[in-house]
Amino acid sequence: MKKAIGIISSNHKEEFLQGIIKDRPIAAVPFAGRYRLLDFALSSMVNSGLRTVGIITPFHYRPVLDHLGAGKEWSLDRKCGGLFVLPGSNNSLQSKNNKFSLKDFLNNIEFLEFDTSDYVVLTGCSNVFNIDFRSVIESHEKNNADITMVYKDVSQDSDTEIEGLFLNKDNDGKISSITGKWPKKDEQRDLFVDIFIINRNLFLEILKGYENIEYLDLIDVIEENLKTLKVYGYRFEDYLGRIISIQSYYKCSMEMLNPIVRSQLFMGTNRIHTKIKDNPPTKYASKAAVRDSLVSSGCFIQGEVNSSILFRGVNIHPGAKIKNSIIMQRCDIGKDAVLENVILDKYVKVNNKVVLKGMDGSPMVISKKAVV
Amino acid sequence: MTELLDSMPKTFGGLSRVTGNSMCRRSLVDYNVERDGKMHKKEWVAMLLAGGQGSRLGCLTRHIAKPGIAFGGKYRIIDFSLSNCVNSNIDTVGVLTQYKPFLLNSYIGIGSAWDLDNSHGGVHILPPFVGEQGGRWYKGTANAIYQNIDFISYYDPEYVLIISGDHIYKMDYNPMLKAHKEQNADVTISVIEVPWEEANRFGIITANKDNEIVRFSEKPAKPDSNLASMGIYIFNWSVLRKALIEDEVNPKSENDFGKNIIPALFKQGKRLSAYRFQGYWKDVGTIESYYNANMELLKDNPELDLFESNNRVLSNTDILPPQYIGTFAKVNNSLVSNGCTILGEVVNSIISPGVFIGEGAKVEDSIILPDAQILNESYVRKAIIGEKAVIKEYSSIGIKIGGNPRQSGITVIEDNSIINEDSLIEEGKNIYGNSVA
Repeated sequence: MKKAIGIISSNHKEEFLQGIIKDRPIAAVPFAGRYRLLDFALSSMVNSGLRTVGIITPFHYRPVLDHLGAGKEWSLDRKCGGLFVLPGSNNSLQSKNNKFSLKDFLNNIEFLEFDTSDYVVLTGCSNVFNIDFRSVIESHEKNNADITMVYKDVSQDSDTEIEGLFLNKDNDGKISSITGKWPKKDEQRDLFVDIFIINRNLFLEILKGYENIEYLDLIDVIEENLKTLKVYGYRFEDYLGRIISIQSYYKCSMEMLNPIVRSQLFMGTNRIHTKIKDNPPTKYASKAAVRDSLVSSGCFIQGEVNSSILFRGVNIHPGAKIKNSIIMQRCDIGKDAVLENVILDKYVKVNNKVVLKGMDGSPMVISKKAVV
Repeated sequence: MTELLDSMPKTFGGLSRVTGNSMCRRSLVDYNVERDGKMHKKEWVAMLLAGGQGSRLGCLTRHIAKPGIAFGGKYRIIDFSLSNCVNSNIDTVGVLTQYKPFLLNSYIGIGSAWDLDNSHGGVHILPPFVGEQGGRWYKGTANAIYQNIDFISYYDPEYVLIISGDHIYKMDYNPMLKAHKEQNADVTISVIEVPWEEANRFGIITANKDNEIVRFSEKPAKPDSNLASMGIYIFNWSVLRKALIEDEVNPKSENDFGKNIIPALFKQGKRLSAYRFQGYWKDVGTIESYYNANMELLKDNPELDLFESNNRVLSNTDILPPQYIGTFAKVNNSLVSNGCTILGEVVNSIISPGVFIGEGAKVEDSIILPDAQILNESYVRKAIIGEKAVIKEYSSIGIKIGGNPRQSGITVIEDNSIINEDSLIEEGKNIYGNSVA
């Protein structure tokens, strides 16, 4: 039975990612050595048995389509269903919570109309997670819900304020209000993580009802109708990384060095799929000294690497010392160069003996193709 | 009609006007092709022999045919031949399988990993099959091709390239085809210079200065040439077809290319030509040669350059996360693949995808095949550890015994073996079976 289809909305901006979103939308931001942020939502959908997935494209969609191709790596090059590219609108009204703009869905309403599935699974693509949507659908059905919103309890995570939408629930677990305010210490701190399930027919009804105020966001519409709709929450227990700033990108990347996080994200039966490059294995030279690092294939390492993340095809010359850094695809680090707390975008060339140091927790970002 | 079309939207009846017209024109051409029966015509097809067991590789081939053995970390031996085909723009490859083909078949699939999933042509797995007269196993290399004459005829090629799935090499077959045409040859055999002192281990070909073959000698005691046959042949299909049929009715024949087909054609006075290949080529038929070919990849500038961006070797691997190198790990002069977790020490070794090496464990001069686990505080020296094998804690593999150990002292642990805690295994041993105390 074809129960659900998926829509990934990538038509939104995260303003605080500095250089790394200069040339690419958030969906295509490289992550954890060989992935793009989009891979996590897309793989979760495919691994949960969804066979039809639409991607709402951002304005600058070349990197997204380049990565996805026909969807082969996600087994989405199908005769029935498969990957659909849904052109996003060029939104001039970019509000903060504008990830699920009605206009984007209205432009692609045929995708929803022509399907016969019961549910639509919707996600953004700035989060890192590996979720089994089958359990979310199960809970959705058990509650006989119209909409189920996935949240993460963040009360343990942080004492400082987290930006985002928080869900308040009544005693039955039904969501009673959605607020953008950081809840007080003794309140629930259930952060909405841009993942929700909506009944397809209701979704179509909403779209048609709000046709004339298409600049609204779907979440705003849900909030407006909380009294009449049956909106439930689903608590997600596993790792979820939120990328909203360069600091959170850096922090989240470094969390990949934690074996518990890696086992939840990557090592289960549901694997995160990504575009295959088919690189050779990584070569460690006799003088290489690599510790506590995540290293992708096709690298050639002759220097020292500590607590860092290396993407594919990175070349590290003898004597180079890299610490607490993220080095993206095909960077070349010259002899005796020293890098600490930096993020190098793709194809950066660091010359011999160059020293680059960012601050602890607030890395220095070097943009794509730069020669330093 | 023109007026009507002009008033119509651009897409009418599912076809745009432009395509509609060209469709009409094209269909005439198509009918001609159909009438001539040349729909499937190919200039050449490749036949890849992948059915042999490779018995000299001992316990490495107990679960998988030789072409399926992992090599160089993420690759399998057959990757090299398949990649050569696609890099030579050959789009039709028949893969002849027979010995334990399940893993090999699932690995090759429809060839998409090598961009060989074409709608016309592509990879075809050709196992032995049953016909009106019953079924037969492939009796030899030539018989395997003989039984698939119908397959080749379907593509009606001018030339057939015969290659084998158990050699490690990078080769563009186009210059060889060009030489074959220029020589106006019936058969062209690819040859490579081997050291004179090793020439007695190979099938040696003696050619004159025009590259015409004048003599064959199988493992000659006193070789008069150092050109060894690489087991790569280009035949004119009409010549090969006739030779295969003649060979099949000869009861004395072993149905082998090297032993029967080529000598028979030579006797008949066909034009046999040698093509001198220059580059890297290795037969990995024994434990020692398999081990050495792997280890050569660790040299500073290996002859077989896997990092070269042209003519890449493609392979079919699972999507695994990047490798994690632990806080107390040490990795030197080694190749490490995706999905590995290395917490111990790795020196001069090749580590395949998904391998786990525990804390305090040390791996030296070894080849660890996919998904094997070396648990904490174990020591592995000069060994080949099979796929999914587990070496439990505090074991030692490849203990030196001095003297002259078997197979140059290389220890081999079979796929899926479980080696218990505190085991001691001497060098040069082959460990079969699932559990060893």
